[in-house]
Amino acid sequence: MKNRWLWISTIVFFCIRPEISADEVFFESKVRPLLVKHCYKCHRGKTTEGGLALDSRLGWQKGGDSGPAIVPGKPEESLLMTAVNGSNPDLQMPPGDADDKLNDGELEILKQWIAAGAFDPRTMTEELEGMSLDEAKSWWAFQPLPQVEMRASSEPIDALIDQVLALQQITATSRADKRTLIRRVTYDLTGLPPTPEQVQAFLSDDSPDAFSKVVDRLLDSPQYGVKWGRHWLDVVRYADTAGENTDRPLPHAWRYRNWVFDAFNRDLPYDQFVSLQIAGDRLRQNASATEQNEGVIATGYLAIARRFGHDIDQDIHLMHEDVIDNLGKSFLGLTISCARCHDHKYDPISAKDYYALYGIFQSTRFPFPGCEAKGQPRDLVPLIAGIEQTLIANNIQQRLDLEAKAQSQISESSKRLSQSKVAEGGSVLLAADQSENLQQVRVRKGEVLLLKVLPNEGHGADTTLVEWEITEVEGNRSWNLSAVIPTLLHGNPNVSENGTWCFLYFTDGRPRFLTEKYPTVEQRSELQSWSTGETPSVLVNRSDQDVGVWTKLPPTSFFVHPGPKDPVGIAWIAPVDTVVNVTGRVADAHPSGLDGVTFELSHVTSPEVGGFLLALGEIGAVPGSESGSIVPVAYAVVEGSPQNASLHQRGDPEKPGDVVPRSWLSMFGGEPISTETGSGREDLAEWITQHPLFARVMVNRIWQGHFVQGLSTTPNDFGSRGNRPTQLQLLNWLAAQFQANGYSIKAMHRLILNSQAYQRSCQQEMALVEEDVINRYLSRFERRRLSAEEIRDSLLFVAQRLDLSIDGAHPFPPESSWKFTQHDPFNAVYESNRRSAYLMVQRQRRHPYLALFDGADPNSSTATRQVTTVPTQALYFFNDPFFHSQAAAFAINLKSLQSDEQRINNAFQKLYQREPTMTEMERTVHFLQEYPGNFDEKWSALIRVLMASNEFLYLD
Amino acid sequence: MPNSILPRRQFLKSAVAGSVVFPGIVQQLFAEQDGTFTNRASHFPAKAKRVIFLFMTGGVSHVDTFDPKPALMRDHGKEIKADHPEIKDRPGYERIYLKRPQWEFKNYGESGTAVSTLFPHVATCVDDIAMIRSMHTSHSNHYNATLGMHTGSFSFARPSLGSWTSYGLGTLNDNLPSFVVIAPKQTYAGTQVYSNDFLPGVHQGTLVVPGAEPIANITPRVSLERQQLELSALNAFNRSHQESRQDSVLTARMRSFETAFGMQMAVPDAFDFKQETAATLDNYDLQPGQTTGFGWQCLAARRLIERGVRFVELIDTGSSGNWDAHGDMMSHVSLAKNVDRPIAGLLKDLKQRGMLEDTLVVWTTEFGRTPFNNTADAKGREHHPWAFTSWMAGAGVKPGIVHGATDEHGLRAVEKPVHVHDFHATILYLMGFDHEKLTYRHAGRDYRLTDVSGHVAQDILS
Repeated sequence: MKNRWLWISTIVFFCIRPEISADEVFFESKVRPLLVKHCYKCHRGKTTEGGLALDSRLGWQKGGDSGPAIVPGKPEESLLMTAVNGSNPDLQMPPGDADDKLNDGELEILKQWIAAGAFDPRTMTEELEGMSLDEAKSWWAFQPLPQVEMRASSEPIDALIDQVLALQQITATSRADKRTLIRRVTYDLTGLPPTPEQVQAFLSDDSPDAFSKVVDRLLDSPQYGVKWGRHWLDVVRYADTAGENTDRPLPHAWRYRNWVFDAFNRDLPYDQFVSLQIAGDRLRQNASATEQNEGVIATGYLAIARRFGHDIDQDIHLMHEDVIDNLGKSFLGLTISCARCHDHKYDPISAKDYYALYGIFQSTRFPFPGCEAKGQPRDLVPLIAGIEQTLIANNIQQRLDLEAKAQSQISESSKRLSQSKVAEGGSVLLAADQSENLQQVRVRKGEVLLLKVLPNEGHGADTTLVEWEITEVEGNRSWNLSAVIPTLLHGNPNVSENGTWCFLYFTDGRPRFLTEKYPTVEQRSELQSWSTGETPSVLVNRSDQDVGVWTKLPPTSFFVHPGPKDPVGIAWIAPVDTVVNVTGRVADAHPSGLDGVTFELSHVTSPEVGGFLLALGEIGAVPGSESGSIVPVAYAVVEGSPQNASLHQRGDPEKPGDVVPRSWLSMFGGEPISTETGSGREDLAEWITQHPLFARVMVNRIWQGHFVQGLSTTPNDFGSRGNRPTQLQLLNWLAAQFQANGYSIKAMHRLILNSQAYQRSCQQEMALVEEDVINRYLSRFERRRLSAEEIRDSLLFVAQRLDLSIDGAHPFPPESSWKFTQHDPFNAVYESNRRSAYLMVQRQRRHPYLALFDGADPNSSTATRQVTTVPTQALYFFNDPFFHSQAAAFAINLKSLQSDEQRINNAFQKLYQREPTMTEMERTVHFLQEYPGNFDEKWSALIRVLMASNEFLYLD
Repeated sequence: MPNSILPRRQFLKSAVAGSVVFPGIVQQLFAEQDGTFTNRASHFPAKAKRVIFLFMTGGVSHVDTFDPKPALMRDHGKEIKADHPEIKDRPGYERIYLKRPQWEFKNYGESGTAVSTLFPHVATCVDDIAMIRSMHTSHSNHYNATLGMHTGSFSFARPSLGSWTSYGLGTLNDNLPSFVVIAPKQTYAGTQVYSNDFLPGVHQGTLVVPGAEPIANITPRVSLERQQLELSALNAFNRSHQESRQDSVLTARMRSFETAFGMQMAVPDAFDFKQETAATLDNYDLQPGQTTGFGWQCLAARRLIERGVRFVELIDTGSSGNWDAHGDMMSHVSLAKNVDRPIAGLLKDLKQRGMLEDTLVVWTTEFGRTPFNNTADAKGREHHPWAFTSWMAGAGVKPGIVHGATDEHGLRAVEKPVHVHDFHATILYLMGFDHEKLTYRHAGRDYRLTDVSGHVAQDILS
């Protein structure tokens, strides 16, 4: 049998090298390598030394600052010769090491070449040469879409394809038979095989629109969203873990996954689908509660960016790169992240462009999945469970406002009562320095006494004991911090008859509430804390015993841990106008060779400040880091503090360069963001969805989902290194239709699937295959192997074990129990009979089954899945317990049928959507006779054979 | 280097492999033509036909094993200053003091290379070893340094060294994968350390876990006789399916079943040590019937390369209970004991069989350990990316030499420093590849193992 792949070589070979002259052989084998070796390092591309480019004929003809480099036929007059043979002391090339100089043999080659006329086939600059801004103006992918009339008919598709086929004199294959068609379209739209009943219904429907009816039925199936949502999850490198060194689970990421499935099912217009993923929190801030929630969940797209390193915050620039990389590829087919360290080598995207986008994400608050260095998750976004919740988006703005107000009150109206350093192991009374200040303090209702504990010299995490009592001078009331110990977790602010206490930390002077509640610390239930990350925090030992952890914590005691930069603050809000005495002490509870802490006690003499703090506490308490939280949360983003980013020189965040204002890509106009108070994500969503690339890239993906190859075979790269579509006109027409129909993805499916091109047979005469080896002209349908998910789902489906219900969260261990380290990272595989798109996928450890069958890469965008055929896959079909189990279940289901013939028929119908041929029937009967064992063994074996077959695994 | 007469295969590779036409289809293409994915034309004559890569997880202390530092002994307790990544902003590490090695060093062999008493057996092989005492790396975290040592990338998932080797050299045995990793547990960065990433799937490392079922699904669930019946029926169905479909992909898949069928025998055969003499087993510190332990891993490695596997990596432990001796350096004793005799046994066995001539043996870890600590009496040592020791032996490697050196306290690699990228460039060189030219086009860019750096350590080449 001849191999169809042999032709690729022949054809491609001759396209590129029609014939090879002796000059060319000499150039290619001798001269080019020499130039590459000695000159290209500096004299190549756009930015060349001395303006001289030696990577094209034009380059040396034009020459550099010193004029043309070569005079063909005259080596002695050629500057290049003079420079390399060392005859001119002022012009010695290559510079530097003697090792790098041309040897005599090489000089002779160069001389010969120039003497013979300097034949140079390099008419164009090298492929590696980048695209200029001017060239970008005429780049095919960036052109406006043509104006088209909206069409519901697929005829224009076929007209465009047939036109090219006619031009190439290629004959297309005939229409595939109906059985093939229904199998093909059912897998393409739902990832599942059709049932024998569905096949029968289609076969017996003779109406002209029988196929369109099948398409409509499948598009209405909820399984459609699972299949096409999974395509999308490939592109956005969805995973259920964070990917940092411990690969922490993301227990809430599933909401985004399910939202994607649902969005496909209800045909959410693609521009909205994308805008919500970039800025759903902002775009839906004034909508109904359900829509607001949807907007927040959709930003899970940004949130699921991969995290890196031991301490995520230290490698946060890598997360931002992952965001920008994926955003560029997914929505625009642009490899923007190539410009992180330097200007993009091939496309006109500068490092400045990269940091202009970077600023947008730096102004966005990403959820923190937890990491080894910094503890448990935080900054998850609460969803609206009921109307009593204030609007989330407003919350954020409100919080920022309140923080600012409280900050200014504290800085402007504070009167210091006392201040002291507490040395290692020391204990200092609050009244140590100026004791009279703590007597007879007149407070008004709403004013605050604030005790701040600061780290010295930037050391944090010093366990510091705090005792603090406030007693009325004339009345008989008193407020003691120790009274809070048993009820610490009741709230922050902690409000009771023991007073109103707020547990705060200060970031750049802004007061913030410690919002993470830990019912246990170091697995000790005697210890509880409020914190933000690991520190800053407040901590209590509520038992009447010493508790030995990192140090011995005395019974019934209250501690604070300042962060390395963030002081911890305890604020007491005066409930009445009164006069009080203040007593207490601050003591180092963990002598560890550090330099202790400092405390500051002050009186904020503004009666408004207490109100601000209480209001801040009310909205600042973000629930959700505890699995028992009442309010559901999403792994999603919200606005952060708006800021422009500094360019990182050579990609190094330690080497900040100029600050780059947030703006759109300069090659597309470089429009600045339109907001001073926001991140600019709404602008970004607008820019992206308005660009012609947006529709082109997506219709290409839809096309690929049906035809195996996209019209452009580089779906994530429409830049200069991408592949220009053979059928550019078709791509443009489809993109224009997509835009005209309001970005309905289902409408595009209908348009494409009802074309004759989609319905062609795979079977082509070999002679015809040769005409179009790689099927660029779409003369036939391209056979494909089922994907990993399709294989597994089909096995479950035919065994009647597939659970088609929607899945929710994964059974991750509760967050409070997480102790993952890089030595002992999270690692699990959860079995399920639901659709494979719901399987839990980890970043650090590939799911063993999905990895075996070329599942998507959870670490970077998978635009096209690899299809490999390796023996370890065959081992799966021989010996895998799951595979055996499905075959056995299938066999048991066959038992109830009357005869072997019926059973065989049934198996063929379910697996192949057809009856067995006479030969196959005989072969099967023979196999059953020959195979030893009982009914179950024989039939399981037969089903295994049929399920391992190419007919089951491949789609015609 | 561009050639006017490219070998057709090579041309095909460059034309087809880089997702220009059909990503992922290349290997079927080659599979069809040659029965396997064999040799890519190498850039210069290869010295090493196969590699055994011994990876010690957790960070082996160089100053206690292969890098003798008399001055460190002398200056024990002396305070030093260092802008070291492990102590930056770390409470309790404001002051640091040199800490002496805990083990004696002796000179061995004709070369006189010094080795500590932790490795008495490897010490007897020093005349075959090129000791690289000037290794350094780019990260002080296990995860990143381990990923870097395996893939050349310290953050991102990239193809591993073994996958690049498989991609470059192909396999010599259709019944066995070309890249095998034998590890009792997963190390840092999980499966990423032996992932093919964007290289075709055939180059992924096949994991062997010492014990009952060393490769997933390798144990037949029905008798081979029954399986043979199933396989012939399967072939019959596939043949009739193929009659009207002339497609090499379908053929390749049929062939993969034959290969898998063969693997079910070839793999147990490779791991069946019954034919090995008592002397050989003893050489590897193995008891008859033993199916775990580093000795088992070493002997299995020899048997795999004998059968044509190109790259075998042995990982000694996992991401915990390893060489990461923060608490007490004494944990190095049992870890060294676990590997010392098996490694020496492997080197001697290979040499005796004449296999060391074309087999490269590489020994390494992800980073060294600090020659200092925050008190001189601290029992452990911290992560030290600035300097560590690795060694190579066998094919193309100059035997009995020491390459490069650290400063007097083992703090910095000062003489002929060898970065991880240089290390990789050298390994590829020994296999006949120019590390700058062994590339793969992915997402519009030509990727290579050494990213944008790497220099071959010429001095260690024989």
